[in-house]
Amino acid sequence: MLTFTLRKLLTVAGTMLGIAVLTFVITNIAPGDPARLVAGPNATEDMVATIRTEYGLDRPMIEQFAIYMKDLVTGDFGTSIVSTRPVLDELLRYAPATIELVLVAMLLGIFVGVPLGMLSAVYKDGPIDHFTRILSISGVAIPAFWFGILMQLYFSVDLGWLPVSGRLPLVTRPPEFITGSLLIDSLLAGNFKTFNTALSYIILPAIVLSFPCLASILRVNRAEMIEVLQSDYIVAARAHGISSRRIVICYALKNALLPTLAMIGLRFGWMLGSTVLVETVFDWPGIGLYAVSSALASDFKPVIGVTLLIGFLFIITNTLVDLAYAWIDPRLRRA
Amino acid sequence: MSTPLLDIKDYSLDIGTFDGPVHVLKGINLTVNRGDTLGIVGESGSGKTVLVRSVMGIGPKGSEVTQGQITFDGQDITRLTEKAWGNIRGIRISMIFQDPMTYLNPLFTIGQQISDVIAAHQRASGEGVASKSARRARTVELLDQVGMRDPDQLFDQYPHQLSGGMRQRVLIAMALAGKPELLIADEPTTALDVTVQAQVLDLIKSLVEKLNLTVVMISHDIGAIATIATRCAVMYKGEIVEQGATADILGNPQHAYTKQLLAAVPDIEAEPKRVAAAAAEPKTEKPVKLLEAHDLTKIYKSQSGEPFTAVDKVNLSVAKGEIFGVVGESGSGKSTLARMLLRLIEPTSGDIIFDGQNISGLNGEPLRQMRRHMQFVFQNPHSALNGRHTIGDAIGEPLRIQTNMSKRDIEARVEALLDIVQLPRMFKYRYPHELSGGQKQRVCIARAIALNPRLLILDEPTSALDISVQAQVLEFLQQVRAELDLTYVFISHDLAVIRQICDQTIVMKRGQIVEQGDTEKIFLSPAEDYTRALIESGRKTSRAANIGATG
Repeated sequence: MLTFTLRKLLTVAGTMLGIAVLTFVITNIAPGDPARLVAGPNATEDMVATIRTEYGLDRPMIEQFAIYMKDLVTGDFGTSIVSTRPVLDELLRYAPATIELVLVAMLLGIFVGVPLGMLSAVYKDGPIDHFTRILSISGVAIPAFWFGILMQLYFSVDLGWLPVSGRLPLVTRPPEFITGSLLIDSLLAGNFKTFNTALSYIILPAIVLSFPCLASILRVNRAEMIEVLQSDYIVAARAHGISSRRIVICYALKNALLPTLAMIGLRFGWMLGSTVLVETVFDWPGIGLYAVSSALASDFKPVIGVTLLIGFLFIITNTLVDLAYAWIDPRLRRA
Repeated sequence: MSTPLLDIKDYSLDIGTFDGPVHVLKGINLTVNRGDTLGIVGESGSGKTVLVRSVMGIGPKGSEVTQGQITFDGQDITRLTEKAWGNIRGIRISMIFQDPMTYLNPLFTIGQQISDVIAAHQRASGEGVASKSARRARTVELLDQVGMRDPDQLFDQYPHQLSGGMRQRVLIAMALAGKPELLIADEPTTALDVTVQAQVLDLIKSLVEKLNLTVVMISHDIGAIATIATRCAVMYKGEIVEQGATADILGNPQHAYTKQLLAAVPDIEAEPKRVAAAAAEPKTEKPVKLLEAHDLTKIYKSQSGEPFTAVDKVNLSVAKGEIFGVVGESGSGKSTLARMLLRLIEPTSGDIIFDGQNISGLNGEPLRQMRRHMQFVFQNPHSALNGRHTIGDAIGEPLRIQTNMSKRDIEARVEALLDIVQLPRMFKYRYPHELSGGQKQRVCIARAIALNPRLLILDEPTSALDISVQAQVLEFLQQVRAELDLTYVFISHDLAVIRQICDQTIVMKRGQIVEQGDTEKIFLSPAEDYTRALIESGRKTSRAANIGATG
């Protein structure tokens, strides 16, 4: 298991290097002169040339790449043109909000999707199964931004139960920064009032973000459960007198979880990408919103930073999924 | 006389399908007294598995008992609730299964699975679940009882780390966990190698005596039934057509189906019937070599990097027109060898000479051209045919790939081929799931001979088929060979089949040839210990030997 983990970590490093190289190549292929962009529309040729030298843009490509890589390794993601602050600082400021949102959505997806999938497999073609079928089809079919607006209209505008957008009201003082997650930090500070407020703000965007993910987890888990429940070892377990509940929850679910896990890993990356939409609809101050506003302002360093960060998070999650795979399935441990 | 342990009276069961109910069991009457050993013989689809699963209350979904009842120790168990089953299933009645690999949960250790069963029983009996260490001790004791070496270490191992025979022993241990009064064995040896089969049967037999078990064993293998059961019932199309003492039924069958079934069993002691055919065709002075292998080797690299030699420097020579047998247990490398001979697997080293030409170095178009002369027939006809292609498409496929024949010519050839394999021409419009196993294997053979090959490699072509179907397919294969002037390489683990049809035979063990030569000579005077052991195990499960033993 240890060598397996080490080998996986090596792959992570390799993939990260690949992403870094790819981002570098894309930014250099993309049209437009970064130096001119930085200098602004009224700059003289001299000013542009100075900026070009300053940013090292006149040096050979290979040298630029070396500098780019050195900067990345030392954690220097460049400076945002709009805010003139280091990109890394901004990422660290915005990322926790996104990660919090994605994690809450993921937990929703797993803890609703897996049991519902299991139930609809056990009671196949029963009322629960029909209900989840409707749920999963709408989850995959309804676009996130539209669903988000519908939810806002109903729960916030009509019923007034939940806030429309944002992460915390301006009047509420955010808890002291520990992890960056408002939910966790307010709990750590023992401030339950802020926790409740933060929770009311995150519910709607999390539901909207998790809905498609929940739907696909449900579908995969249902299909796997149905197959596993028909397998020989389940028949054998019944014949050996093991209770149906234990068979479903313990014996069958563990086997059905493997493909579901793969789906969870993929969906995580998909959710990181979807935050761009959901954060815009709910005005959620995360890296999705940050990436959108930077891209609209032709501010490329933040966009590269967000790309690298999302890539990194995606790889980390999928590595965790791989490790979980090996943890669950003994047959994979030797590989 | 006291009440019988298991009493099945006039039991009928339907299974609902889209086309209405199918009568799977029809008026079954069976009585099993304490200490009895009853065998139920029947082919696939005869309803024997449905019958024994009904006794366990795990019958197929959508089934309905139309009449009759099953009584266990005086209690009617025909329509018990799940809760009421809790005290019986796995505890008073338990079961061992056919394929030990698929009946063990791959994600849990052997120990976890057995102690789980123990815990379930303790919970059901209201004793309260014993401590983890106590359950571990009981598990180890059970594993020891079924003859496992090192049961303590085995506790923490996973099913995939065990061999087939070991897994079957684990399943038997699980079945014994509840000290059952009735043990049901569902084809317990079918998926195992010959030598392992004999061991597992010995084990069951000794356990029956030691623990005074009552056993119902179902099998299509009459030899296995004869080893275990003193009484025997024959099932055919959902009915019991004959029952009585095993020796009587095997020695003096009354029902036509039983007679036919017994006649189809290949007998390892029987002299091959080919003598007449061989005498009819005058032997050529010097046999022409069609296929040769020199130092053929295949080394696989495992994922941990250790090399594993699947086939080790094999030399063989197949003469034109003969049936060349390859026999060995699973893992002996016979399938790898067969696939290498066709270059479906790349040999690591060595040469393959087909009709004077070295094909081990061939690539691209010349190799593709060569392929039409040599064809492969797979073990399992159910998975060798694409379920979405009609039979006509399947048989015509090699013609479309390898020739420029017109659509109409292909159509005509497909019909001719169906004639050769003795299937109705209309079958070309059918899909594989509409055919029986034997019919599918005929289709596979038709596909293999579509291009008029000179060599057919048959990898256990009858192992997935019922005995009576096996007999038909074997006979048919011999006919086709004579008609089309074919040469066969015939792979099998079944020594009786090999003896019946092969001229020359090689015996393989762990990738090497341990003995080779004239088939009859090998059977009558085996030179190697391994061959002798193999034949001995084959004899143990053979019908003739067992009739002698029980009768």
